[in-house]
Amino acid sequence: MLYRRVWSPYVAGIVIGLLQIPVFLILGASLGTSGSFGSVACWILGKGGDAGCFPLLKNWWQLGLVVGIGLGAYLSRRLSGVIRKPVSPLWTKVLKTSALRPRFIMAFCGGFLFLFGARLADGCTSGNGISGIALLSVGSFIVIASMFLGGILISRLYPKG
Amino acid sequence: MTIIFAAALGLVMGVVFGFALEKSRVIDPETIIGQFQLKNFIMLKVFLTAIATGLLVFSLFFYLGFDRLSWKTTAIGSDVIGGLLLGIGVALAGACPGTVFAQIGAGYRDSLMTLAGAIIGAIVYAQTKPFFQTILSLQWPSQKLTIDHFLGCPFWVAALALFCIIVGVLILLEKYRPWKKEVISLSTKDKDL
Repeated sequence: MLYRRVWSPYVAGIVIGLLQIPVFLILGASLGTSGSFGSVACWILGKGGDAGCFPLLKNWWQLGLVVGIGLGAYLSRRLSGVIRKPVSPLWTKVLKTSALRPRFIMAFCGGFLFLFGARLADGCTSGNGISGIALLSVGSFIVIASMFLGGILISRLYPKG
Repeated sequence: MTIIFAAALGLVMGVVFGFALEKSRVIDPETIIGQFQLKNFIMLKVFLTAIATGLLVFSLFFYLGFDRLSWKTTAIGSDVIGGLLLGIGVALAGACPGTVFAQIGAGYRDSLMTLAGAIIGAIVYAQTKPFFQTILSLQWPSQKLTIDHFLGCPFWVAALALFCIIVGVLILLEKYRPWKKEVISLSTKDKDL
């Protein structure tokens, strides 16, 4: 299974959903990733419990989680031998150039906006989506509906090919 | 609980998370943009399956008497604006705040720029939070607005109802859009899935 090139989306979804068990039982929280950025921002700014910052101590597991996500994806692709291009060919089609700079600027802006939005909405695709909706939070349904709306509007500008 | 234990536990769970994200190819920009263009439903399949699993997990825990620990405050203004910005950012980056790490691990170079942008975004948010909160925090009368409270039923009743709806949607999706035909191809080796 670990050497497979692809898992069914249903297997992947069940594995991700089951992670709620240790997160809830051991850490008393629910799955989320964007809070780790808040912790890092807090640490860089040297701030306390205000202005979007929360204690680093409480969020160490989330920092571990996001580093683990990178490590897991790396191990996964090494075991299966999947090799990706340094930049997805999709962006060459969207930007009509294979130059790196326009794509780097676009990626930077995307990262800025998705994190700013996630902090404003109090969670991202995992915190509001996978956890918030599974906890039946009305706010999370609103955030995720708005997220899909924003994503669909921008993706309409991209070539359909 | 020590910091080291919390971080180590997070790391182990992250490795599992990263495996699931890479193997399902939900981290690839083609999958995410394809979902937003409504021509590829892999992202929705992973997302809804994870939610459905979570609904069962939380139903069991709350039924057994565990307390609900994390509450998301419903604030229409920041939820809508934040959600829109999140979606626009995801479409530009081709990643979410969680999958950007998997992209870096999977070998995408531009994801490092996405990560840099995200860290700057978090810093700018931390600095401007009071300003945006004043403008956007149109709070719902209840802080703890959840579907089960809204309907006045136990959590597991509402959760199982939503679970059934999601499973129904997934069965229909799989019938008309079999996942094996939707998985994006990264190389010629992917022909024989």
